[in-house]
Amino acid sequence: MQEATYLILTALAAGSQHGYGIIADVAEISGGRVRLLAGTLYMALDRLRADGLIAVDREEIVDSRLRRYYRLTPEGQKRLAEEAARLHANAAAALRRLKPDLAGGVA
Amino acid sequence: MSKPARLEREYRRLLVCYPRTYRRENEEEILAVLLACAQDGQRPGLAVVADLIKGAMRMRLRPAARTPRTVQAAVWLLCVGAAAQLAALVINVATIDSVESAAARRYPPWAAAAVHHVVTVRMVTNRVEEAIGIGVWLLLAWALARRRNLARFAVAAWFGLDCVDMFQAGRSAVVEAPLNVAVGTVIWLLALAASVLLFTWASNRYYRPKPGRALVVADLRH
Repeated sequence: MQEATYLILTALAAGSQHGYGIIADVAEISGGRVRLLAGTLYMALDRLRADGLIAVDREEIVDSRLRRYYRLTPEGQKRLAEEAARLHANAAAALRRLKPDLAGGVA
Repeated sequence: MSKPARLEREYRRLLVCYPRTYRRENEEEILAVLLACAQDGQRPGLAVVADLIKGAMRMRLRPAARTPRTVQAAVWLLCVGAAAQLAALVINVATIDSVESAAARRYPPWAAAAVHHVVTVRMVTNRVEEAIGIGVWLLLAWALARRRNLARFAVAAWFGLDCVDMFQAGRSAVVEAPLNVAVGTVIWLLALAASVLLFTWASNRYYRPKPGRALVVADLRH
């Protein structure tokens, strides 16, 4: 799973969000490192919808502009949980191996 | 015209790159996001424009659902072909002087004017061919993604033309720069691979005319 896809799914994990909300949330989750542009965001949303990982939750008109809210589907939740577990296991393995060196460095 | 209205018009103009059906469904939503991102009212930057064009191209070249992997791979190869053709064009423009001096070394000094003429003519025709080529690669990719059976045969014909071109380049008095020969070979291989993929069993089945159409023809005959 690409990082942008992973971050978009993470942004939707706590609840439904609209396009600009996802961009802002992804920037926050990644500590400002990933700033999605509109073309990339909608390319990803289109693919995720086609794969059944997200779905349209509702639409609102705010300041005469259309806001479409997206939410994770059960399949999307499952895929995100699997990916998060995989990344967590990888990170844990790296930290375990780094620990002796770090401990040595401190001592 | 006010600043926000002008900005909206500029973004709408950019969104025209997207397929009409996609725009009908998503234009207002994407526009709202673009305007929200440009809160300081600044005109779209190069990165935003490039990103939108990339997104629009992906949408246009997106294969329909249940497209066999062979066809998806062929569409992808044709897009790579367009990029390789663009690379060939850039390399050719950059290496014209070295090609001319290499050609001049092979002939006596009194033939310099003729060599210059031959190299220039070949270089100009090649540039025109390459510029058209970029468009052809993209057009073929688009038609294949639209499930046009004729596009498969056009890809095969395009590969045939490339073979002729390679053969002619081998016999030409003008020796191309080595890098350009390499890119030319890559382009030839891409066309070969795409042609093979498009005539596999899975692709044949995908492009076979729908039985519904044959029935209509049969009905008309009665």
